[in-house]
Amino acid sequence: MNVSFNKRDPVYIQVVRQFKERIATGTFEPGQEIPSRRELANQLKINPNTAQRAYKEMEEEGLIYTEGNNPSRITKDEHVLAAVRGELLEEAVDSFMTSIRRIQIPFDELVEVMKEKYQEQSGKEGGEIK
Amino acid sequence: MIEVKDVTKKFGRKQVLKGVTFTAEKGEITCLIGINGVGKTTILNAIMALTPINSGQILIDGSAINKKSYEKITFIPDAITMLPQMTIGQSMQFMQDFYESWNQERATELLGFFKLKPEEKISSLSKGNTAKVNLLLGLALDVDYLLMDEPFSGIDIFSREQIANVFTSHLVEDRGVIITTHEINDIEHLIDQVVLLDDGVVVKAFNSEEVRENEGKSVVDVMREVYQQ
Repeated sequence: MNVSFNKRDPVYIQVVRQFKERIATGTFEPGQEIPSRRELANQLKINPNTAQRAYKEMEEEGLIYTEGNNPSRITKDEHVLAAVRGELLEEAVDSFMTSIRRIQIPFDELVEVMKEKYQEQSGKEGGEIK
Repeated sequence: MIEVKDVTKKFGRKQVLKGVTFTAEKGEITCLIGINGVGKTTILNAIMALTPINSGQILIDGSAINKKSYEKITFIPDAITMLPQMTIGQSMQFMQDFYESWNQERATELLGFFKLKPEEKISSLSKGNTAKVNLLLGLALDVDYLLMDEPFSGIDIFSREQIANVFTSHLVEDRGVIITTHEINDIEHLIDQVVLLDDGVVVKAFNSEEVRENEGKSVVDVMREVYQQ
């Protein structure tokens, strides 16, 4: 995991966000073991107390679970997993809409441009629109 | 917990500390920030009872510094105190002979962590490596509190990064750390508490995550508000 942090958002929230992105894209699979608090602090170069806080937050949101003294794992709960994807999508669209509204592009034109761009990007990555 | 309560200190006619109050918890990194000459080093010296204070109180885990609590703290000055003709290995041996709390296992681990060779002479080391040896000698002691004076000052960016990595590792885990610095940029997201000093007093003390969460400000944002008013 390699993350650069911005300086104005709480670090623990940025860590949770990274986990959500990795869960949504499948980099972290359901049930996958995650690093310990110490390992995470080390990997991300963050304060161990912050890593602890991020894990606490994710436990509360049901993103990760811990059984007994075993390492924590990514949730297998499909509702939670779907919600994570939905949350990230909505957030991305919201911020996109905010910038689009500022320049007042008609909806049809917008959709056309989006299709083109998406195809261009997928082409670069060697994939197709799913 | 280290409690600094209303501490004052005069050097001749110059009142350096005019009533400094803050606390530093175990398991947290507390950063004393202020422009040069504001008395940061004096505060560390006062905590170690290396310099007498004029008034106020300093408590370590609830009691004034005594022989027992003295062994719980180590002070890492901003310059190495070993002789230049000594090798790193000899410096480590010296520390081991001198301090009961020396932890050879951790010392060896730190050597690897900093990629230092024991046969190298102190006099032949770069500034960055000298700073690392200095830090190693302090960090290898089994103490509850570490006071570090300007650990990032005057060294190259890669050495700074390596030193910063110590703070996120088990080498510091669960200990209370107080560091003084005037360069906060590299370590903003590593520290817990921030104590801003100006003109002999604490102008603001806060938790860095809380200020980000509640005010959407970086540590530097808060410093700008405080120092550039």
